[in-house]
Amino acid sequence: MTESALKEKLISNSDYCYWELNDNTSYWSKAFINNLGYQPNDVTIKLDFFLNNIIHEDYRAPFKDNFYNLVRHDVDFKQNVLLRSKEGKYLEYVCKTNEDITIDSKENSKTIFFFKSKLNTHEKVRGGTFYYHETAMMTSTGSWYIDFEKKKSYWDHITRKILEYPEDFIPSLKMGLKLYAKEHHALATNVFMECGMSGKPFDVEILMVTAHNRKFWARAMGKPVFNDNKEIIGLRGVFQDIDDVKQKEINLERTSEIIASQNSRLFNFAHIVSHNLRSHSSNLSLIVQLIDDMDSVEEKLELMDNIKDVSDSLNTTIEHLNEVVTIQTNADQHREKVSFAATLNQVCTSISQIISTNNVTILPDFSEVKDVDYIPAYMDSILLNLLTNAIKYKHVDRDPIITVKTSVDYKDNDRVVLEVKDNGAGIDMEKFGDKVFGMYKTFHYNKDAVGIGLFITKNQIESLNGEIKVNSILNEGTTFTIKF
Amino acid sequence: MTDKIKLACIIDDDSIYVNLIRKIIETKKLCDNLLVFNDGKDGIEYFETILQNLEDKFIPEVILLDLNMPVMDGWEFIERFTTIRNKIKKTITLYVVSSSINQRDIAKAKSLSSVKNYLVKPVEIDQLEAVFTKTA
Repeated sequence: MTESALKEKLISNSDYCYWELNDNTSYWSKAFINNLGYQPNDVTIKLDFFLNNIIHEDYRAPFKDNFYNLVRHDVDFKQNVLLRSKEGKYLEYVCKTNEDITIDSKENSKTIFFFKSKLNTHEKVRGGTFYYHETAMMTSTGSWYIDFEKKKSYWDHITRKILEYPEDFIPSLKMGLKLYAKEHHALATNVFMECGMSGKPFDVEILMVTAHNRKFWARAMGKPVFNDNKEIIGLRGVFQDIDDVKQKEINLERTSEIIASQNSRLFNFAHIVSHNLRSHSSNLSLIVQLIDDMDSVEEKLELMDNIKDVSDSLNTTIEHLNEVVTIQTNADQHREKVSFAATLNQVCTSISQIISTNNVTILPDFSEVKDVDYIPAYMDSILLNLLTNAIKYKHVDRDPIITVKTSVDYKDNDRVVLEVKDNGAGIDMEKFGDKVFGMYKTFHYNKDAVGIGLFITKNQIESLNGEIKVNSILNEGTTFTIKF
Repeated sequence: MTDKIKLACIIDDDSIYVNLIRKIIETKKLCDNLLVFNDGKDGIEYFETILQNLEDKFIPEVILLDLNMPVMDGWEFIERFTTIRNKIKKTITLYVVSSSINQRDIAKAKSLSSVKNYLVKPVEIDQLEAVFTKTA
């Protein structure tokens, strides 16, 4: 008597039926075939047939997961299923592997047993599974398990789906950090290690990377699994795709930052306008007082010259203010791809005289980022201002060396960063740190300083939602860092 | 009884303003000599120098100090001036003269013991005359 025949006999009068998988052959018990209303010759005993014609679609994916885990990793399982009979009637079964079924004799045989479900709360169970499954699908929540003893990891089909791996993909422990974006490797290592070592559950928002190298935001939750001796034997948890929500949150955050910065620029501008115009109007009023006070016509006429002076400087101030206003209205101007190297070349050509007189060395490095979408005129003006600044405030003891380098800030939405670093006189940051970008602020004992360049630069950068920061050490040099 | 001021000092980067004040002082004969510095640093350097040679004729009786200036602003000047002034016997009266109408600036200046008063630009000729009139 073959083993299958033996089993057949043992279970012929019960509610059990089974599906045996040995090597490449499958075998369905007679009871199984009969229960479903088929004749043994009717059906081809293949997984495809089972998945396509017999198992209810709601149970298909979880069953597939379990099935592959059994075949490839010897992972036992137990799940409820609805199976469709030949007449189209759904029958409820509990399906279970050979884990604790004593009638299995051969060690390496794999068998899936089907028990008629004892529950008559058919709809309840069905509904429960259905809701679980729907919830998981609609919230894009996939579950995973890491088995420390077997050194294996398991994913359900939704985990595969959100990570864009094929349905029959078998994860391995080695993949580890590959699933997470570079900038979050430390975070991932940290939470998994802590959970695995000290049993601390985690719930973090983390950037993951799919099989197609697409980055997305996920909420990763995990907790330890203990054995009877309270030892951690694995981790279990879920990944939820929260990219949509997170992107909206990031956008919202950004928008609110932009609004806050625009607000503060407006405030600053109002302050500048009132302050700068006040100094002229008070001079005018002084002149008028003096004219009133003077007795002779000659003296009165002499004061006219002063009016001209006030008028000139008032004009200059208005021009500067105008420049600032123009920046605000230009912000929605067309952006295009601007090459760092080309712009730098252009700027260097326009100030070649100053560069050669001052013996300036410029060291560009645009290997990481070659271009950025920007308003070309602004890029021009930014580089021009920073370069002339670096040259103007060079150190008295050495020739200026200016490095201009681009990079990507992976921690901040992959934003492009431009760094302009000089070996000049430096700025006393403690004294002037908060004033570097102010209007009409100069810090160097340099008579031709006007104090408008960096103010304009900052305004241009901020109007396009960028940032500029300065770092400086007196007598060593200054570094301006721009984030686009 | 009033006694005419011999030496006054203006620390301000607005050359038009400085010229007008100079003009008023000359016309009204408010003082004999006038020292002008374009920013706080030049001003403080002068006082550091006269510490070496404390002759009355080099010490101004009145200082008109602007707040908003490049290199060294009025606040820093006041801070450094306060330590210098303790070493000088002669009374030096310091006025802040600024176009800032920011209440915080005004309150801050008035709270400093070395500041006699805060004048908002434009100053009136009468105000200037009052500043330059010391009671004997």
